[in-house]
Amino acid sequence: MAERKRPSLVLAGAEQGNLRALEDYRRAGGYASLEKAQKMGPTAVLEEIEKAAIRGRGGAGFPMGQKASFLPSPEQATAPIYLVVNADESEPGAFKDREIIDRVPHRLIEGVQIAALAIGAERCFLYIRGEYLSEYEVLSAALAEAEAAGLVSVPILIHRGAGAYICGEETALLESLEGKRGQPRSKPPFPAIIGLYDSPTLINNVETIATVPKIIELGGEAYAEIGVEDSTGTRLFSLSGDVVRGGNYELPHGATFRELIEACGGGVAGGRKLKAIIPGGSSSPVLPADQIDLSMDFDSIQKAGSFLGSASVIVIDDRACMVQLALRLTQFYMNESCGKCTPCREGTRWLELILRKIEEGRASRAELDLLLDVCDRILGKCLCPLGDSNAMIVASYVKHFHGEFEAHIKHHSCPFGETSSLAGLRSPVDEIYRGRVGQEAAL
Amino acid sequence: MAELRAEIQAIAGRYPDRKSAVIPALRLVQERYGHLPPEALREVASALGTTPAYCRGIASFYDMFHLAPVGEHVVDVCTNASCALVGAAQVLQAFERELGITAGETTPDGLITLRNAECLGGCGSGTVVSIDERYRQPVRPEDVPAIVEELRRG
Amino acid sequence: MSAPELVGGSAADRERRAHELITVTIDGRRVQVPKGTGLVEAAAAVGIEIPVFCYEPRLGSAIGACRMCLVEIEGLPKLQTGCTTPAADGMVVHTGASSEAVAEAQNATIEFLLLNHPLDCPVCDKGGECPLQDLSFRYGPGTTRMTFHKRSLEKPIPISPTIALDRERCIMCFRCTRFSQEVAEDEELSAVNRGALSMIATFEDEPYRGPFSGNVVELCPVGALTSTQYRFKARPWEYERAASVCGLCPVGCNVTVQSREGRVERVLSRNHPEVDRGWLCDKGRFSYPHLYSEERILAPRRRGVRELEQLGWEQALDELEGMFERARGEVVLALSGTETLELAYALAKIVRQGAGSDRIVLPEPVSDALDPFRVPISALAAAEEILVFEDCPVLDRAPLIELWLKQARRNGARITRIGPSGDLQRAYGEAALACRELAGKDNALGKRMRAAERVILLWSGGGAAGGVHLAALAQALGLDEKDGSGALLLPASPNAHGVGEAWAAAGEENRQPKQIGLLFVSGDEAASDPQVRRLAEHARATVALTLFASDSGEWADLVLPATGYLERNGTMRNLEGRLQRLRGATGSPVRSELSWLVELAGRLGVELPGNEAALFAELSAKALGGVSLASLGDRAPLPPRSEAKTFAIVEPEAPPTLLGGPLELIRYRALFSGPAVEHVPELAFQRPPTEVEISPEDADRRGISDGDEVVVRSNGTRVTLRTRINVALLPGAVRVAAEHCSELARGVEVSRP
Repeated sequence: MAERKRPSLVLAGAEQGNLRALEDYRRAGGYASLEKAQKMGPTAVLEEIEKAAIRGRGGAGFPMGQKASFLPSPEQATAPIYLVVNADESEPGAFKDREIIDRVPHRLIEGVQIAALAIGAERCFLYIRGEYLSEYEVLSAALAEAEAAGLVSVPILIHRGAGAYICGEETALLESLEGKRGQPRSKPPFPAIIGLYDSPTLINNVETIATVPKIIELGGEAYAEIGVEDSTGTRLFSLSGDVVRGGNYELPHGATFRELIEACGGGVAGGRKLKAIIPGGSSSPVLPADQIDLSMDFDSIQKAGSFLGSASVIVIDDRACMVQLALRLTQFYMNESCGKCTPCREGTRWLELILRKIEEGRASRAELDLLLDVCDRILGKCLCPLGDSNAMIVASYVKHFHGEFEAHIKHHSCPFGETSSLAGLRSPVDEIYRGRVGQEAAL
Repeated sequence: MAELRAEIQAIAGRYPDRKSAVIPALRLVQERYGHLPPEALREVASALGTTPAYCRGIASFYDMFHLAPVGEHVVDVCTNASCALVGAAQVLQAFERELGITAGETTPDGLITLRNAECLGGCGSGTVVSIDERYRQPVRPEDVPAIVEELRRG
Repeated sequence: MSAPELVGGSAADRERRAHELITVTIDGRRVQVPKGTGLVEAAAAVGIEIPVFCYEPRLGSAIGACRMCLVEIEGLPKLQTGCTTPAADGMVVHTGASSEAVAEAQNATIEFLLLNHPLDCPVCDKGGECPLQDLSFRYGPGTTRMTFHKRSLEKPIPISPTIALDRERCIMCFRCTRFSQEVAEDEELSAVNRGALSMIATFEDEPYRGPFSGNVVELCPVGALTSTQYRFKARPWEYERAASVCGLCPVGCNVTVQSREGRVERVLSRNHPEVDRGWLCDKGRFSYPHLYSEERILAPRRRGVRELEQLGWEQALDELEGMFERARGEVVLALSGTETLELAYALAKIVRQGAGSDRIVLPEPVSDALDPFRVPISALAAAEEILVFEDCPVLDRAPLIELWLKQARRNGARITRIGPSGDLQRAYGEAALACRELAGKDNALGKRMRAAERVILLWSGGGAAGGVHLAALAQALGLDEKDGSGALLLPASPNAHGVGEAWAAAGEENRQPKQIGLLFVSGDEAASDPQVRRLAEHARATVALTLFASDSGEWADLVLPATGYLERNGTMRNLEGRLQRLRGATGSPVRSELSWLVELAGRLGVELPGNEAALFAELSAKALGGVSLASLGDRAPLPPRSEAKTFAIVEPEAPPTLLGGPLELIRYRALFSGPAVEHVPELAFQRPPTEVEISPEDADRRGISDGDEVVVRSNGTRVTLRTRINVALLPGAVRVAAEHCSELARGVEVSRP
């Protein structure tokens, strides 16, 4: 297979090490785009971002240029405009933002400054997941350096989260940042109109913002020529699971799973057989192994019945029991549900109960039907994508691996027995819900 | 504790709305107390001009806040999808064996709390273990005795 | 049906939009509503139900949490929550009635809610008035598919002596926490944990201690938050209901009184949008058991050799008649501000026409000076500027006003409190002086008031002289000419104005006896007044008409049993000047006053109509401009403003000089005080703590810290209290709840023991 061009954009200059120090970043051409952007002015910068057609890298894939266009102009705004960077990366399978912050923090800072000037933001808040302590320190140090060098004209406040997956959802993040429980808001109104502290807010993922300096450097049109039509540019694909070399690989959209898994990742570990691919983090429906030559772009993956989301590719080999995997993921959603809306709060828990019964070999056929019906009842009714994701992915596991579910029911046991790579797996809910630790359990 | 109050108020001053400081304030106070007993919540509430009930509502929402006492060291073992596929269950079991407790418990000497955790963001080389908010990866079952020994030595 | 709630925007925005009409189609029916109306209200306007749990317009913006109100909107791929969606022109909406997807979603929502909801209906107080029951019946599946163990939690948990929490029943609609955080702003009730472990809690074992906590019981759509007083009494359909008005404070919240077998068993809100908006304070809601206290006097009692001995009514009336005859021309009437107009008028007639005397002790001076500046209480919510002269805390005097002030602040009003612990610190008793200063042309704050469109002045404290000082300021600021502006006096008693009017209507002469042949005291309020007690010492004979004998029994020769406001038919005039109707619950353990007053009047040659309605008609013709009882309706209208008059400026009284100590003692009557509260054990936890509030400076100077036990002294009286440092309190003043002040004089000293 011909080697696809792999332009290094987001991680440019950091391929061998990192660019944490300001002088290293500068030597690699850093902060030149900021200077260029300052000369271009806000309108021109926004135009380039539109031309680049860059879609949000956090999971929703909404075009950044379009999102920015919803904001009032600084002249029209009756409240300060804010820029918020979503660094609450918590999607199972995703670890790219961590690497960006760790290796090219200045590129992120530069991207923030450019985006801030483009929208006329008064301040920027960067919400980083609480668990990323080391990365927080790296970023803080880089920010201090940049501030000392007079590069930060729009102040940046780094705010650490405290451990809740739901805070990655943009409105839940805003709630958490405002000092409340991280429960998503009803949309509309959208953050562009009523966002942080009731003010117009642009909120974007780390990778999206970290790409902006390169967009300015290359020009939007040139950037858009990389990748494919509806998915421009490069992505940091997070590759993990049953693969030889897991890691973040920057590839253009349009590369296939095979390229990522085999050329970058060294193929399925231990010479085992590929069984399934999760294309976009745990919240994306699973794809069977025969989809390995699918192009990794938003459109193609959607046509195949899943979505690219955060481009977090999890490789699953033939040792894994898919029922156990579906159960573990359901336990994740149940644990992380914020509790605000009925179908997610009650539904994810019900799914867990039924799935556990199936996995333990105690369920009947009717309960498999019930499982799918509950998924149906949750889907499309929730306040935010968390509950919907749980329902959607469970349905996809049953659809593509129906035989395994059937086997659990028919034979009252896991067909893999103790040999499943997931045998003996427990989840946090086993402790939390059986009353032993963490959040105060029921009295 | 007057200096804690002053620190919290300084943090609050950095935000357009003081209430935003509740998470950093809780973190600060948790570092001093070890966990967040009722007095800690009262202190944060008083410093920010809100109520202990409100602070408890916030603290109990997030995994990194401990409302019950925890050990000197908190060991979080990820068992979500990617780490699970590469043997997280066995890593967790290894810790349980080595420490003589089940996930969710604290060793009787109060040194180590072991927790089963959700995705920590290190998926490419699992299993990921976070010890006192610092990541170790990849961790295999055979690495566990040395890690525990290290923690015990202090 | 009241006007649909308009979603979002400022008061001015909402007003503007109210005049713009748009058309939406719901289940095929077209309806015209003001722009900005939410879909739930738009549907209700054509009689279509969009079911809800978490939606409650009085709690601020809708949150769309429960998902019960999902509807299909043509053109949008996903179902939307009706509660968060404002109607837009041309919108086509389908509810469950015309959309299978919606019906399915509603069915699913109920199924999810019932997964862990316990089958408590047979033992749950909410049964019969439970939205979950009703909506399950209308929208839910008939059978359960839940085969797993339901979650089980300790229950019920008393979150206060008056409220029980059942976490198993809770459907996490967040109404109670939103009330606590966004209406009462006490933040004592919060949601803890996350996901399916979420539950409602107070902090530790601390009770939900706040003056408005009881509202969560009415808000809760299931039996999770219930009243302990009401627990297991009866089913809602077994009660008789009367639409009445609370008589404990001058706000006059509209209530529904539910009774059974002659006893009041529950008091609920009744939502007068201009007065209370459907909220009640805990005193009005939970104090009704005082009517059934063992200490209540149920029959007349005469002072005997050793104690009060019971009398029959015939004997009592003979006794009374005798007292009146012997004291002809020398009768003094002391009226509590708690009496209805009718009772006050009846007594006034007897004294003025039957006993030939015109000496009256009224609860406080009244005047019609503020009539030209009359506004409904609800105008506070739309005000730009609010000035509060607050010698006595608004919360203790007229609690619902405090709730309205919080709403006003949330809506963007600027509130300036002037008083010993106000934003502008002024010594106690200087309110009148402050009014005069603010009226001056060069006063900065006054200028700000003049520049604003909607300004409201409030006076909460003594020395009001019937509102004259406030009226003078209102006139100087031109408030009678500005829409949405006005001034309100918060009197100390519920019907001060009404009682004064009734007295004035009963006679025109001014015969002031020098001696007191008979002192007739009506109401526990007057009976506990030290001023009245001093008069009693000089009276030859005394009669008290009270619920309890704890005060009156000490000095009265004859104690007659009174009815409580919940048992009375009558009218009261609230602080707005609004005349409202009370309707007594069926039955009272005690004879109605009118029944024996008519007899007494007859014996004294006074004509008294035999029922309250006729009394009202007579009184109305004489002094109320002929307004009919029927015109007051269920939700009484606000009388129109009268023309502004020029009146003589009344010189503010100079506060007397301090005696007995360097610190001025400010006594305040706490909300949770008085006989209605003292005789209800479950309200004891809300009574004012034995504290003395002191400024940080005064405390520092005396080496006193927050929480220290201290002695408060004046001229021979010592009281031990706990210190509470109040950073807002003016140095030189200390504040103690009246019931803890004992005999302390106005000047005190505070020191460590």
